[in-house]
Amino acid sequence: MSTVGSKRITVTVNGEEVDYDVEARRLLVHFLRDDLDLTGTHVGCDTGNCGACSVLYNGQLVKSCMLLAIQADGATIETVESLSAEEELTPLQQAFSDHHALQCGYCTPGMLMSATALLRANDRPTEEQIRKAIQGNICRCTGYVNIVKAIQAASGQGVEG
Amino acid sequence: MLLREVEYARPKTVEEAIELLAANDGARALAGGQTLINVMKARAASPDVLVDLQDLDELRGITETGSGGLEIGPMTTYAELASDAAGARSILGEVASSIADVQVRNRGTIGGNVCSNDPTNHFPPLLVAMNASFTIQGGEGERTVGADEFFLGVYMTAAGPGEVLTKITIPPGGQDGFAAVTIGRDGTAIVAAAASLNGGARVAIGCVDAVPVRAREMEEKIGHDFGDDNVRAAASGLGGTLQPPSDVHASSDYRRALAEVLAVRAVVAARERR
Amino acid sequence: MTEVQEPLVVEETETKPGFVGTNVPRKEDKRLVQGQGVFFDDVKRHGMGYVHFVRSPYAHAKVVHVDVSKALELGGVFGTLTGDEVAILTDPFFELSTPPGAHIKDYALAVGRVRHVGDPVAAVVASSRELARDAAELVEVEYEPLPPLTDAEQALEDETLLHDDAGSNVVWSGVFDWGDWDGAKAEADKIVKIDRLHFDRFSSTPLECSGALVEYNRGTGQWTMYCNHQMPGIGAIWMAPALRTGLDKLRFVTQDIGGAFGNKICLHPQFVALCLLARKLNRPVQWTEWRTDQHTANAHGNERIFRDVEVAVKADGTLLGFSCRAIDDCGAFPRYEPLGCIIWAQVTPGCYRWRNIRVDFTQVCTNKSPVSPNRGYSRMQHLWLTERIIDIVANELGLDPVDVRKRNYVRAEDMPYETPNGCVYDSGDYARCLDIALELIGHEGLEAKRRDAESRGKLLGFGIGSTLDSGTNNFGQSTLLNPELQFSGNNEVATVKLDIFGEIVVTLGTVPQGQGHETTAAQVVADILGCSPDDVHVRAGHDSYWNSHAGFSGTYASQFAVTGLGAVKGATERLAEEIKRVAAGVFGAEPADIELAEGQARLAANPEAAIPFMGIGAIVNANNAILPEDVRDVTLNCRYVYVPPFQLPDKERKFGNLTLTYATQVHAALVEVDPETGVYDIVDYAAVDDCGKRIHPQIVEGQVHGATAQALGAATHEIFAYDEEGNLLTPNFYDYHVPHALDMPPMRNGYIESASPFTPLGAKGMGEGGGAAIHAICAALQDALRPRGNPLVWRSCNPYHQVWQYLQDGKRGVEVVDA
Repeated sequence: MSTVGSKRITVTVNGEEVDYDVEARRLLVHFLRDDLDLTGTHVGCDTGNCGACSVLYNGQLVKSCMLLAIQADGATIETVESLSAEEELTPLQQAFSDHHALQCGYCTPGMLMSATALLRANDRPTEEQIRKAIQGNICRCTGYVNIVKAIQAASGQGVEG
Repeated sequence: MLLREVEYARPKTVEEAIELLAANDGARALAGGQTLINVMKARAASPDVLVDLQDLDELRGITETGSGGLEIGPMTTYAELASDAAGARSILGEVASSIADVQVRNRGTIGGNVCSNDPTNHFPPLLVAMNASFTIQGGEGERTVGADEFFLGVYMTAAGPGEVLTKITIPPGGQDGFAAVTIGRDGTAIVAAAASLNGGARVAIGCVDAVPVRAREMEEKIGHDFGDDNVRAAASGLGGTLQPPSDVHASSDYRRALAEVLAVRAVVAARERR
Repeated sequence: MTEVQEPLVVEETETKPGFVGTNVPRKEDKRLVQGQGVFFDDVKRHGMGYVHFVRSPYAHAKVVHVDVSKALELGGVFGTLTGDEVAILTDPFFELSTPPGAHIKDYALAVGRVRHVGDPVAAVVASSRELARDAAELVEVEYEPLPPLTDAEQALEDETLLHDDAGSNVVWSGVFDWGDWDGAKAEADKIVKIDRLHFDRFSSTPLECSGALVEYNRGTGQWTMYCNHQMPGIGAIWMAPALRTGLDKLRFVTQDIGGAFGNKICLHPQFVALCLLARKLNRPVQWTEWRTDQHTANAHGNERIFRDVEVAVKADGTLLGFSCRAIDDCGAFPRYEPLGCIIWAQVTPGCYRWRNIRVDFTQVCTNKSPVSPNRGYSRMQHLWLTERIIDIVANELGLDPVDVRKRNYVRAEDMPYETPNGCVYDSGDYARCLDIALELIGHEGLEAKRRDAESRGKLLGFGIGSTLDSGTNNFGQSTLLNPELQFSGNNEVATVKLDIFGEIVVTLGTVPQGQGHETTAAQVVADILGCSPDDVHVRAGHDSYWNSHAGFSGTYASQFAVTGLGAVKGATERLAEEIKRVAAGVFGAEPADIELAEGQARLAANPEAAIPFMGIGAIVNANNAILPEDVRDVTLNCRYVYVPPFQLPDKERKFGNLTLTYATQVHAALVEVDPETGVYDIVDYAAVDDCGKRIHPQIVEGQVHGATAQALGAATHEIFAYDEEGNLLTPNFYDYHVPHALDMPPMRNGYIESASPFTPLGAKGMGEGGGAAIHAICAALQDALRPRGNPLVWRSCNPYHQVWQYLQDGKRGVEVVDA
C-alpha cells in the first residue's frame, strides 16, 4: 500500500455528501470552516483543550481540531448548522436563549453539539452528568451556570427560578 | 496549530500497517490522535508518514479471561472502557472516565495512551501496578513484554519502529487503586499513584520520571500487611528516592511529598475495592 | 457537586411598567445558536493572503539580521514585512506617559530589539494558513541575546534596560498622599506591617483570539478592518498617526466578538502590520491570533507587588489608614499604560471609611508580555490589597473579619460618599450585601461545618471578598499622570431613526462582545417610544464608517448601562419629540398633546386620532409638503452624545471624581483544604451584587456568574508564570487551566438595587466585577490554614502547590507593633 500527501475525500456533512480534495495535513476544523464555509464551528485554542470546534463524527462528539480531514473520508459529520436547518429553533436552542446560556456566543456551537450528544444518549441527565458532558467545552462568559440550567430545561426537567 | 506536510495511509489489516511502518523511516501509527495530533500541531515532532489504524477492528474489544483477567485491544477507546465500568475490572473504567472530557474519551485509546507514554498519562502507572503484559507484532513476528520492561522513556516504549501493539493482557485480580492530584477536575495529572494487591502489593508512581516508577522498597515493607499504619510507615522515605521534575504546577519537593501521600491512598483504595 | 442553588434573594427598586427591568428575549441569540454569527475569522475575501508572524524565541535580544529570502522562494507566498520596513513607513505609537516612559519607541514589529518571547519580528503572507506557517519557518533571524529581566523589583535598579531611548525601565512613578498618614500613625493603637503582597499576572483569555481581515482601497487610501477591536476610537488614535493617515481612513468593522474583557484594546501594533501588508501586497490579508500568541504576546492583566504595607489600627478594629509601595509590572511595552497608575485611585479606600492613605507607585517594564486593561483593570489589584489588609489585620488582632468590615464599611447613610481623593461613591449598602452573603452561605453554621471537615481530616476556611466595580471613567484622570495629556470626561453616541416604513433603527457607538447591547438598547427605546422591543432594530456590532461614534466610544470599563444606554435614551427622546411634533403638525395640536403608545403617535385626549409610526416616517421622508413650515426641520434621524457630568481633576492634589458609578460585589467562600496535599475544594460560594437599576436582570446575573468564574480561575490556577529566561510557562489552555464546568462551585446569588442618583436610568455600569472571588478565596485559605502555623496568604493566585508551600514554610512576613 502506498502513502498519499492529499486525497479526494467523500464526507457526508449535515446530510449532504461532499467530495473535496484535501491535503493530508489539513485539520478537519479548517476543512469545515474554510473549505466548506461552515463557519459555525469555531477555533478557540491550539492544543485541543477548549472544545469550541466540537462536532458529531459518526454520531460521536469529537473535537474537530484533533482530527485530520483525510481521516474523515467516508464519515458522517454533523455541525451546529444541522441543528435547525429551518428558521425555527429547536427546543435545545430555544432553551439556551430562554435561560441566557450564551453571552458572546463563541463557545455556543460546541456547547450545543455536546448537549445534543448528551441528550441523545441520556434524556434525563443529572446536574453532574450535564457538567461532565460539557467538561470539554470552555466558556469564559457564563460561568456555566445558565448553560447547565438550559440543558436541564431542554431535557424537560424542571428548573426552579 | 498547523501541521507540516505529511503522507498518510489507512491500512486494512495489521500486516499492512506493519509493512507501512517498517517501510517508512519517519512513520508513526495514528490511533485516537489526542496526543499525536497535538504534538504535530505544535510542530514538536513531525512524522513523515501517518499510518491510520482506524479500520483495524481486530485491535478493538475487551475479552474477559476469568477472575478479573482481561485481554484488551489497544484501539479500545477510553469511552469504551468507561462504558465497561461495571465489568470485570472496575478500576479501568473508573480511571478512563476521569480522563479529560467526552470528546477526548471518544477518540483516545488505551494503546495510544501507553505507547505515547507521556509521563502524565494515566494508564502507564496503572498497568505497571496491575502487572499487565503487552503483545507486540512486527516484521519479525510477535512477542510479549511485561509492564516493567515495556516503558522505556518519554514517548518511547518497547513497541519500536515498524511494530504495532496488538494486545494488552491483564492478569486476574481486582484489588486495584488509583489516586492522583490533577490540574482541576479530570485534568492533567500532577502526580499519580496506582496500586494492585495480589498476594503482595505492586505500587507504581506516575509523573515523577520518564517512565512509571515502581515503589519497590515500599512494596517490600508492606509485605502482606495492608493496614493503614503499616502502609503509611512503608511509604515514608519514598519521596527521597525520587528525582521528579519541577515545573509550573509543582516543585520537585511537592511531587516527592505527593508521591508518598498518593501511594498510601492508592494502596488503601486497592484494599477497600469491592 | 450539589444542586444549583435557588431561590435568588432579590430586592428590587420599584419597577415602572415597561420593558426596562424585565428579561426580554435576547436579539443576539437567534443567529448565535444557529452558528450564524459573524466573527472576524468567518469573513472571507477572494484572493486573500493569510498572515503568520515570525516571533522572537528570546525574552530579550538584539535583532541583528532578518532574512526573508528563503520564505519568499516558497510557492504560494505573497510577501513579507520586516521591522526595517516598519521603521521607515511608520512613526512610533503615541505614548501616554511623561518622560522617561514618553521616550519609549513602540512599533508594529520589533525594530532592532525584541523585548518579550513572542515579540513579532517579521510577517509572512501566503495563499493558505499552512503555507504561511511553513514560510515563517524559513525566515532566518539572527539574534544576539541580552539578559532577560523578569523581576519588577530588579527592573527598578535599571541595570538591564529595555528601552535605551527612555534610559530607564520606569514608565511612571509618583506618590499619592491623601489625608494625614503620619497623623493616623500617631493616633493608632497598633501598626500592622506586611512585608509583601503579590497580585499575580493573569488574563481573561477570551475564547475567540484577536485578529482581522484587512483590505486596502488604493483609490481612496481607505483601510477596512473586519476585526474584533473593542475600542476602535483609541485604536484609530494610535494607528492613524503611525500610518501617517487620517482617522477616517481607518474603518473598523465588527459584528460578533467572542469575548474581549479588555484583551482586545491594544491590537494596534498587529493591525498596523496588517495595514502595511494589505497596501504593499495589494490584496486583502487575514491574521488569526493563536491561543499561544494570545498568552505570550498580546495582553496580560497588570501584575502588582505591594511592599512595606503599614496599616494604622485602633484596638477596637477601627482602621485609620494605610501606606504602601506599589510596583506595577506592565511588561515590555506600556501601550495603554500608565493609565493603570491612576485608575486604581477610583477606589482608593476600597469599601472602607479610612481617610489617610499614602501610596508610592512605580510602574516598570520587564521582558514579559505587555499588559492591557483586563477585566477589573487596576481597581481589582488595589481592591485585593484593601481586602487582604482587612483580613490580615483581623487575623493578627484576633478580630472577626465580619465585625471589622461592618465597623469600617462606608455606610448606606453616608452615600453619596466622597473618598479621600475626591471620588464620589454614588450609592450602595455594603453591610446589607454582606448580611445577605452570610445568610446565603450559612455563616451561622460555620463552626459545625469546621468540626465536620476536621473529622474528615480537612481544614475548613471561610472568607469574604467585598469589592467595587467602578464604571464610567473620567479620562481627566490621565492628566494626574501626565499634565500634558489633553483627555478628560467621557462620551458615547447613539443614533435612532424612524424609517419610511416605520422601522426604528438604532446604531451604537459601543462594540458589544456578548453583553446584550442590542437587546438592552431596544428595551430603552421601546419604553420611550411606546412600542415593543421587537419593533426596534439595533444594528449588530459596530462599523466605524457608519455608526456614529465619539472619541471614547467602545465597550470597556463597565459603562454601557450608563454611557451607551444614556446615549440611546437621549437620542430616543429627541426622536420622540420629533415624532410628536410631526403628529401635532398633522393634527393641528401641540406636541404636549401627543402620546406615543402601541407604535403610534396619537392625541392623548382622543386616542382614535392616531398615526402609526409608518405614517410618520412616510410623511417626513416622502410627503413633507403637507407639514406646517415650522415642522419641516424634522429629520427623524437623531443623534445624541451622552456626556457624563465630570470636571477636570485637581492635578496638584491628585483630587477629583474619577468615575461616575460604583457597583458593589460582596462574595463569601467556603473552602476545604487537604493538608497532606494542599489540594482544596470550594465547597460553597455566595455572590451578592448591587448595580443599581437592572435593565435586564438575566443579563446582569450572567455577568455576575461570568465575572465570578473568571475570578475563581485567577484565584486557583490561572497564572502567567515565567521562568528566569523569560519563557512563559503557561502559554496555552493545557497548562493555563481555566475553570471548566466541573470546576465550578455551587453558586448562590443575591441582588439588591441601590439606584445611582447620577445616571440617566439609575443603572450603574457592571460586568467587570472587582475580582471578589480572588479576595474571598485568599481570605478563606488564610482562615483554613490558621491552625497550621497561621502562614500568610500573600499571593493572589493559590494553586495547590502554593498552598502546600504555605504549610511547609509557615512564612509570615507580617508583624504587629505598638503605634
